[in-house]
Amino acid sequence: MIAYLVTILTLVSIAAILALALNLQWGLCGMVNFGIVGFFALGAYTAALLAMAGTGPVIATFGAMLVCAVAGALVALLSLRLAEEYLAIVTLGFGEIVRLVTLNEGWLTGGALGLPGIPRPFFDLVPAGSYDVYFLGLCLLVLAAVFLGLERLARSPFGRLVRSVREDDVVAATLGKNVVRTRVIAFAIGSAVTAIAGALHAFFFSYIDPSQFTPIVSAYAFMAVIAGGRGSNRGILLGACTVMVLLEGSRFLKDFVDILDSDQLAAVRLILIGLGLILFLIFRPQGFGREPRLSAARLVGDATTPSPATGPIPGPTPDPALAPVTAKEGDLHGTCQPSRLVRAAASDR
Amino acid sequence: MIAQLALNGLITGMIIALPAVALTLIFSILKFPNFAIGGMLTAGAYLAWVFNTLAGLPLIAAATAAALAFSAIMVTSDRLVFRPLRDRGPITLLVASMGLSFILENVCRLFFGNLARNFDIPISRPYRVAGLRINPEQITTAIVTLLAMLAVYLILRHTALGRAMRAVADNPSLAAARGIDRDRTILWTWVLAATLTALAGVLIGMDRAIDPMMGWSYIITIFAAAILGGLGSPVGAVLGALAVGLVQEMSVLVIEPQYRQAVSFVAIALLLLFRPQGLMGQVRIAR
Repeated sequence: MIAYLVTILTLVSIAAILALALNLQWGLCGMVNFGIVGFFALGAYTAALLAMAGTGPVIATFGAMLVCAVAGALVALLSLRLAEEYLAIVTLGFGEIVRLVTLNEGWLTGGALGLPGIPRPFFDLVPAGSYDVYFLGLCLLVLAAVFLGLERLARSPFGRLVRSVREDDVVAATLGKNVVRTRVIAFAIGSAVTAIAGALHAFFFSYIDPSQFTPIVSAYAFMAVIAGGRGSNRGILLGACTVMVLLEGSRFLKDFVDILDSDQLAAVRLILIGLGLILFLIFRPQGFGREPRLSAARLVGDATTPSPATGPIPGPTPDPALAPVTAKEGDLHGTCQPSRLVRAAASDR
Repeated sequence: MIAQLALNGLITGMIIALPAVALTLIFSILKFPNFAIGGMLTAGAYLAWVFNTLAGLPLIAAATAAALAFSAIMVTSDRLVFRPLRDRGPITLLVASMGLSFILENVCRLFFGNLARNFDIPISRPYRVAGLRINPEQITTAIVTLLAMLAVYLILRHTALGRAMRAVADNPSLAAARGIDRDRTILWTWVLAATLTALAGVLIGMDRAIDPMMGWSYIITIFAAAILGGLGSPVGAVLGALAVGLVQEMSVLVIEPQYRQAVSFVAIALLLLFRPQGLMGQVRIAR
């Protein structure tokens, strides 16, 4: 039972890293990455191949991050001459290409047989028998580092820039911001974080094959992000936990429900994810968490005005706090117009 | 050899043209790229399979019944899924359509399993004409797609519904001001799209087999065809589909056949880099 719990927690933390990466791309920057499983696989295979070549786990992970960041930047560049919708199909295609390559280039990836015997990081340093617990600790550490890094990024000037591009790229461009560069960097960072998750996945299983990298991985990540609340890193952690525990926990159901075999159970899981995505989008688009937003009242420095960030998300009704912001703060805050950010909270992205 | 590949490519292109036109119609009228197109293909094929093998209808009747039933399913899905999200922007709608695709595809997997299924039709010998092998299925495919394309063209050009669809696609608010019922137009768009995808599902099922992944394996090709045609131009989508089909089949001369699908992706990539408005599309000013 403890072993099972440790395994589940390890998988949850890997999934959470993946969801945080998607949150940067989709939640903060509005770039739909349906091919996140492709980047996950690319990261896992790169890390595995480097580690098997004897570079050690740390360099292998950084190498995977580099490869994925470059791939992500290229994919983002491809579709940036057009509207965001095109990125979705380009990423989907990228995921398919990665799958084809892992399946068909046997000399490199082992083909359908996969890559066995990936060295486990720091295996000699910890007492034998309890390695899984230490690996869980490692995963949690990495997760914490990724979380803090992305949280800092989201609050930095670059984070504000990323969100302004999501809300309205024309406004951002008008303010002299380089929209294309922002999108490419955000997507590349997201891909690098995805590579971390992939590397951990490879190290944890110490065996990877193409069947581990199916679209269901993308589906999990999207579900975690939408349930957690796009833009809110804290919500994403909660979302990833809930999704993984519910879906992985449904393995137990198999013992009670005899009518479904494992294929059917997988189908039921994906149906639930599809339903969940749609229901969340319709009824609770902001998810469990809420994206921390600039409050107009705080910017104006007037504590008595109700703050939209703490109250319910402002609807189309005009907020009295908005008028002074546009007038006074528009030029003070170079990264983006605060009024635009707050007002855009009402519209969906 | 080359002529044979070209023939096969044209037939593949004709099959792809059906869902590519459906995708284009939905994109022009509902303003979002419908990622459920793969799941729709799968679901349509399975419905026809149910009518054909379980209910014992001949394939033509089964395909018609499937097109009708699937139209009803898609109209209901639109009501439940897309209508509440109508004004939320394309990103929300495309993620929702991916969710719908998961549901359609996995309902099929849940009931019918992962095994490949075949229609209850006699296996026939290919004809040999001037050194080419032509399957009877390929002839059926050519006839069915040509008829379907002709029907779509006539509907779009010469009926009140077609005029309404073109008006809504062109300028929704102006169309509304002229008294065109948007919801009714959208309903018929889904009927048209569902019929086209169900037909394509049947044709693919005849040509190869029916399995839950069939839609997934075509989705990139379909998008490539529609983007090639400029997303929004049905004629462009047909030409794009023929081009993608041809290039995909001919590519086996140069690259390994496993990478055939990658050709579509490369086509999308090159196109987005050098001619983002599509081959037939007009330059439109992005938001």
